[in-house]
Amino acid sequence: MMMTMDTQQLIESLSKDVPRVRPDALARRIGFGIVGGGLVTTALVTAVLGVRPDLQVAMQGFSFWMKWTYTISLGVGTIYAVARLARPTPTSLHPLWLMAVPVLLLAGIGIGELSRTPPAQWLTLWLGRSWMICPWLVLTLAVPIFVGLLWSFRELAPTRLRAAGAAAGLAAGAWAATIYCLHCPETSAIFVLSWYSLGITLAAGTGAVLGPRLMRW
Amino acid sequence: MAESEAQLKARMLGSLDGDAAAHAALLRALVPLLRSFYRRRLRGTEEDVQDLVQETLIAVHTRRASYDRKRPFTAWLYAVARYRMIDHYRQRRLSVPIEDVDDIFVAEGFEEAVTARLDVDNLLNTLSPKQARAIRETRIDGKSVAEAAVDAGIGESDVKVSVHRGLKAIANRIRGA
Repeated sequence: MMMTMDTQQLIESLSKDVPRVRPDALARRIGFGIVGGGLVTTALVTAVLGVRPDLQVAMQGFSFWMKWTYTISLGVGTIYAVARLARPTPTSLHPLWLMAVPVLLLAGIGIGELSRTPPAQWLTLWLGRSWMICPWLVLTLAVPIFVGLLWSFRELAPTRLRAAGAAAGLAAGAWAATIYCLHCPETSAIFVLSWYSLGITLAAGTGAVLGPRLMRW
Repeated sequence: MAESEAQLKARMLGSLDGDAAAHAALLRALVPLLRSFYRRRLRGTEEDVQDLVQETLIAVHTRRASYDRKRPFTAWLYAVARYRMIDHYRQRRLSVPIEDVDDIFVAEGFEEAVTARLDVDNLLNTLSPKQARAIRETRIDGKSVAEAAVDAGIGESDVKVSVHRGLKAIANRIRGA
């Protein structure tokens, strides 16, 4: 077998540094990226926006947990997508349809809410007090988590860069929304369904645009 | 002689456990495999083959964490190799050799295929509905001129003329663009 000098030298130099790779290295790498970014986002929420003063009371109520269940289940689903797209081998993303479940559940709660509210107040219920800034805050807060995931991907091997970018954006958006719940006092399901989801979708779209550029290797 | 999947995988597992000798043996064993993989696809450009082999060895080294120990090693290796090749073409702004396009569509999912389809739709949308329909049915959906004529409720010669004029208009558009 002929091997050029160059290649031989390359192999020798690469073999000088062979750290052990744990079996769960991929999951840990993605986890560190999200947690690292999430800490920055949490710091931003507490320092810049401020934690809602009634958080302790709110945490005993339904709407806080409704919001968290929604954003956390989306966050868990997208981590699954990110982990699959971080490997180079072709993969099916069909199980992601399960993410429709939290969306539909929240829509169901929203319909219940509307039926209990006089139509004259529907607009207030839908727009809350912060509909204009909520999606943008979620998008902004997603940035540190997205950056964390970019770090994760540096040792991983995504081959569908647009999909990987979108999944990373979606994960960043869902976890940013989860952390944003510490600040946001809105309570209605249709508010969350509309404006949280819009912010998360914006993050996913931004990720899809940036993925091919930032995740190349 | 090329090593088997089982041998390669055993070396990869050694490498993942931090065994430098297994790592070096793995990379050495990959050189002939990768060389023939790229040679078959690049045809003749020995320098490019050499570059790609080395880039792939580096990727195998730095992105080992993306390998799933429960899965076949060669599937992972060739997925990495294929990506390196596509990126190589992208960097040089060359097109992928036509013989590989189908393989790559299959491997890369349908994104590219969908994009190609959208391009065709965009072009057809610039034509009159009659011409667009005639071209779509006879040239894309694979219907005969007679079938297309019956579907559209027009004569066969009308279908032929529509296809001819439509294709000509598209050709002019592409040349002008």
